[in-house]
Amino acid sequence: MCLDDQILNTYLDGELAEPWKTQVEEHLSYCPACKARYEQLKKLHEVIAGAVLTDEEIAPHQAKVLSFIEHNYLNKKRKISFFHRKLRVGIPTIITAAAAFVVVFIGAFVLFGTSGDQTAEIIPGMSMNVDSANIMQVRASDNIAASRTLDSYSLEEILKYLDGKGYDVDVRLKGITPLDPTSAVGQPQSEPVSDEPVL
Amino acid sequence: MEIKSSDEQMFRQVYEDVFPVVMKVAYHVTYNIDVAEDICQEAFIRFYDKDMEFASEDDAKYWLIRVTKNLAINHVKRKMREQGMIDKIKKMPAPGSYKDGGDELVLKETQALVREAVEKLPEKFRSVIVLKEYADMDYKQIGKVLQISESNVKVRVHRARKMMESMLDREEVNVP
Repeated sequence: MCLDDQILNTYLDGELAEPWKTQVEEHLSYCPACKARYEQLKKLHEVIAGAVLTDEEIAPHQAKVLSFIEHNYLNKKRKISFFHRKLRVGIPTIITAAAAFVVVFIGAFVLFGTSGDQTAEIIPGMSMNVDSANIMQVRASDNIAASRTLDSYSLEEILKYLDGKGYDVDVRLKGITPLDPTSAVGQPQSEPVSDEPVL
Repeated sequence: MEIKSSDEQMFRQVYEDVFPVVMKVAYHVTYNIDVAEDICQEAFIRFYDKDMEFASEDDAKYWLIRVTKNLAINHVKRKMREQGMIDKIKKMPAPGSYKDGGDELVLKETQALVREAVEKLPEKFRSVIVLKEYADMDYKQIGKVLQISESNVKVRVHRARKMMESMLDREEVNVP
């Protein structure tokens, strides 16, 4: 039985496996018809392959395209590397980030979402016992002594204060002259007489 | 060696090694040297821009050839729609200048006829014959690029050659 073109083509392309390859070679050695057909197919292959674009024809295009890519891509990419770089985050990175977030989230509950006793067990230095015993409310009226003005002192208090400091203060009422000036000397007026004192 | 397509060093290496094959594929599908150049440029820009990784340089090569082949086939389809078949058959696809000398002239004529015949092949046979005869790939590699089985490649190579033979016989190309 002679060989068909399909087998000869496969053999020609060096793609025929054993044992068929050896059988084909053996057949070709004694069958002139198949040998002739094989030569014909080989010639056809050579003619087709002979029409190939040659390296000399390719070279100028290879250089031209490369210079275009160099100019527009290779050199450009280096300059804008930082801001225009694609941010590529792999799946493992995302999972790691998610896990870290969960740990921090749960950790926040453990540390701040419970009472001070539990916190004290974990971080003694950071214990915070918040109860009514150590809450102090601050009001303006609590510190009234510091907030008093001169108006809120009575005349007696002022005179007493000045007397304590060693001042001799003479207080007179308007339009009234003492009947006996001698009896008043050396005695500080201590009783409040009028709404309008003159210091 | 692993290939990272956006690495400049690796890109240059792949470009140096693969460009001629890619150019041959683009040219023998389109038979227009300027179009082929544009297609190769587009393929390599995509290769660089997509920032891909390949297990080996061969894998990068197959990817580039596949993209180039698809771009070229698409171009031809578009062209055919635009021009119609009649114009296409009239065209003489022979780049370069003819030199003096009988043998050279015969060779160029034969080349032109072969190229014309390849151009007339239906797409699926043309892809196979271009990869086989011009990109110098084996059945397995062609199967990978075209994403078809090896035995399918074998059958297509055979049928494509048969068509080529009958077309070249009609053109009286000297195939003894």
